[in-house]
Amino acid sequence: MSWRRFFQRRKWDEERARELDAYLQAETDANLARGMAPQEARDAARRKLGNATRVREEIYSMNTIGSFEALRQDLGYAARMLRRNPGFAAVAVLTLALGIGANTAVFSLIDAVMLRSLPVRDPHELVVMQWRAHHMSFNGEYSSFSDCGESGISGPSGCSFPLPIFKQIRSQTNAFSGASAFAGPAALNLSGNSPATMVDGEIVSGDYFSTLGVNAALGRTLGPSDDSPSASPAVVLSYACWQSAFGGSRSVLGRTILLNNIPFTIVGVAERRFTNLSPGKSQDLWLPIAMLPRLNVDWGHEIDGLTNWWLVIIARLKPGVSLDQAQTAASLVFSHEVLDAGKTISEVSEPKILLTRAQEGLVGERGTLSKMLYFLMVAVGVILLIACANVAGLLLSRGAARRKEIAVRLALGAGRARIVRHLLTESILLSVLGGVCGIIFAYWGVHAITALVTAGSSERFPYVLGPDYRVLSFALGVCVATGILFGLAPALRSVRVDLAPTLKENISSLSGSVARIGRFHLGDALVVAQVALSVLVLVGAGLAMRTLENLRNINPGFDTRNILLFEVDPTLLGYKDAQIENLYGELRQRLAALPGVASVTYSSDALLDGGRWTETIHFEDQPQKGGVEANMLAAGPEFFTTMHIPLLQGRMFTPADFDQASAAEKARKQDTNARSSSTALNSSGAVVPISVLVNKAFVQQYYLTENPLGKHITKGGSSGSGGGAFGNHYDIAPTWEIVGVVGDTKYDSLRRKIVPIVYVPLTSGGCYFELRTATDPRTLASAVRSATSEVDSNLPLSHVSTQTQVIDKSLSQERLIALVSSFFGLLALALACIGLYGLLAYEVSRRTREIGIRMALGAQPSDVLSVVVRQGLVLAVLGAALGIGIALGVTRYLASMLFNVRPSDPLTLAGVALVLLCVAALACWIPARRAMRVDPMVALRYE
Amino acid sequence: MAKRGAPPLEGELLQGTLDVLILKTLALGPAHGHTIAYAIERRSEDVLQVEHGSLYPALHRLEDRGWIASFWGTSENNRKARYYRLTPKGRKQLAAQTSRWEQLARAVNRILRPATE
Repeated sequence: MSWRRFFQRRKWDEERARELDAYLQAETDANLARGMAPQEARDAARRKLGNATRVREEIYSMNTIGSFEALRQDLGYAARMLRRNPGFAAVAVLTLALGIGANTAVFSLIDAVMLRSLPVRDPHELVVMQWRAHHMSFNGEYSSFSDCGESGISGPSGCSFPLPIFKQIRSQTNAFSGASAFAGPAALNLSGNSPATMVDGEIVSGDYFSTLGVNAALGRTLGPSDDSPSASPAVVLSYACWQSAFGGSRSVLGRTILLNNIPFTIVGVAERRFTNLSPGKSQDLWLPIAMLPRLNVDWGHEIDGLTNWWLVIIARLKPGVSLDQAQTAASLVFSHEVLDAGKTISEVSEPKILLTRAQEGLVGERGTLSKMLYFLMVAVGVILLIACANVAGLLLSRGAARRKEIAVRLALGAGRARIVRHLLTESILLSVLGGVCGIIFAYWGVHAITALVTAGSSERFPYVLGPDYRVLSFALGVCVATGILFGLAPALRSVRVDLAPTLKENISSLSGSVARIGRFHLGDALVVAQVALSVLVLVGAGLAMRTLENLRNINPGFDTRNILLFEVDPTLLGYKDAQIENLYGELRQRLAALPGVASVTYSSDALLDGGRWTETIHFEDQPQKGGVEANMLAAGPEFFTTMHIPLLQGRMFTPADFDQASAAEKARKQDTNARSSSTALNSSGAVVPISVLVNKAFVQQYYLTENPLGKHITKGGSSGSGGGAFGNHYDIAPTWEIVGVVGDTKYDSLRRKIVPIVYVPLTSGGCYFELRTATDPRTLASAVRSATSEVDSNLPLSHVSTQTQVIDKSLSQERLIALVSSFFGLLALALACIGLYGLLAYEVSRRTREIGIRMALGAQPSDVLSVVVRQGLVLAVLGAALGIGIALGVTRYLASMLFNVRPSDPLTLAGVALVLLCVAALACWIPARRAMRVDPMVALRYE
Repeated sequence: MAKRGAPPLEGELLQGTLDVLILKTLALGPAHGHTIAYAIERRSEDVLQVEHGSLYPALHRLEDRGWIASFWGTSENNRKARYYRLTPKGRKQLAAQTSRWEQLARAVNRILRPATE
């Protein structure tokens, strides 16, 4: 077969037709010469030639590919059928678009969050170094920034290492072709570029960009020469930061900016696609490690020693070196430097060094979203099944109407397989059309979901969204699969017809010749399935909504209305303790003077913000008890009155308490070098304890039978996590005296139960300000900003929000799940009831004659109504029962996401069943009314 | 479609044979479909009855392989008809297939009528 002939096969066919005509002419002439009559001559000629059309067909098929031709025919026919039934096509395509679109949307989110490969060169060659041990207790400082998972199956693990180890790894050039380290991001104060803002800066080694293979979109990236103390401070901006904070202007190159008051030169902008390395994290700029000590970051002191573990090491394997070989080399380095030196880790059992592929090892923030995404994936999968069942039901009804056409085709000699293939082509065409529309829905849906996820926070969605081949091939695969799924059963059903009766029949004898199993047929089963699946989704939605309600109704222990919050960190600008106190005092004065502000206070962390700070404490009068872990909060003046936390016993903080605390701290800082174990000394050398308050839960847990007032607690050993604002590094333990007991409040999250809290006076470090306002706090935000900049224009405010916004943000996942699952639940309910309605409407129209006969014989309209409604309700009840049964089995997997609601909560199940039956009754009632109105005379004559 | 005499040759044997018969017929000069069909019948003294309809797919196949070429001309009755002629490639094929056919015939003959001892 030649390709030229393929494209010109029609022309060839015409030529062939002429050739055969010429033959017929010649043969007719010959016959006339033999003496036949003209008509006889022509007939004899035709007989001699045989079937001219078959000859042409044979030659035509030699010019083409058989299956391709068949496919073209099928598609053309399918398109014509759809055009002739626009109503059916529209409903089917819309239903499928919703199902396929929802699936594509959720899958593209899963792709962006979980599956996308790192935006660097050859990511499969990169490995990240991790340590794993049964038990490892630390003598130095350990910082981690959720780049990799924190706990393995057999014990703790992490990926932070000290700088000397990184240098040793870098020198292992026989195993790695390059190694780099990074840590962060650190919150830095950016000034020198219009208003002062907070930015996130990632601290990286000089060869970070070259190891990862990332180029610059403007200027250059950091190099090894930038990573030395004598180099001039250079910084590389991220593309997004360059666009948003610097307006994307090319004049940023060479500009000097101040980070924490240290001048840095902008040497370049990273390429656009390199948004971040660890999934879900983001940063605005990159700085070299050598510059870190100048920045006065909490965890950025003494970075050279073996006692500070803070860097994530990522290396590129040398070609030809296997992972195991490299891992052995790394383990040797680790044991040589750390274990044999024996200085930093006090107790370690079976430490191991592992090299994991960066794609799996760098987990980042994936974990927070993954559970919700999998829940959504299941929900949309169920919706797609319902949509398929719906369209299958539609196809079944249409198939019954086309039985005559198929019988004719079968009688003419079409193979059954050929017809099934043709019907499947129709279904796949439908689903591909639905998929194309669905992609539009998916686009909209993805944006809606990401808007909900980032609602209430000013951050961008930290994952890169965008169509890529995985998502598109998923969408295509889903289209084809759904087409086959909902098309196969009706297609097989359609070709199983008895030819003779079907060809002879007319409407009057059109009785139940659809598939029957007992008294049910396939259409009924489909409706029952749809109802069951929608019940499942509705139960999930109901549980999610009840969880949200329960969480919203928790009393957090303080008045959450009308509180404005913001965070400041003057330590980034170099403020010291006394200066910080004065600054805060002045800020309080100015802010309290603003109209609409009732009172002002500050604390080390905002309540319910997710921040946690714990210390180990000892009870002075119960030394045998050992150390317990207590949750801490440092509070400023009038904290409890501003937050409306009731005082139950004793007294609140007085200005004298604050003075005492800051004096104690100053003394302790002076004594730190001397390493003496004394606490605050007043002028006469006696120990003066710092006044603290505790909450009721603390008392109930530790002082149930005694009066807690006047008791002393000492701090022993520190383990801070999250409370970066209060990052002073104590070596000597202060003594605290309990002077008051306040009411219970929730601490870091609503879900967690009430914990014991110790409130200490806040004397230094960054903090959150809380303002109690008379009206809507948001109206005061700009006034607060200007008042603050009057005090110090370089001091940026960050995280400006209201307390209710903070609470909403902590509930954002639950809100999102409740919202999305309610949407899907209603969608599923609508689809199921449309399916039910369609089935009953079809039944009524099919049995119009029968209904007419019954009414002529004396049935009342109400009897007809009850028959139809009963048929529908039986299906609905069956479906509901089946759905509840499945729900009882499946919802236990949701138990971890629920709050105060059992997975088998009977109230939810009953509510869902009730809603379903009401809507189903409505869906039954409409066709039933139509049945009622059948005029017997018209029906009997209806053919 | 036997008329009289021997029954027609079966299946694929006839197809391959039909090709070489057409080539031989065209070796004597260009002809159109009608002429070729009658030529084969006549020259074989009506033993080989070709279904005239199956002649045209065979002609198409031969043209596809480049053994014959076609052109439109005027027939004896002054009507337009499609003529075929043999190409050099076809001439070579004819020689090859003729010798193969003779080989086959000789081999079959040797079995059916062995030389007397």
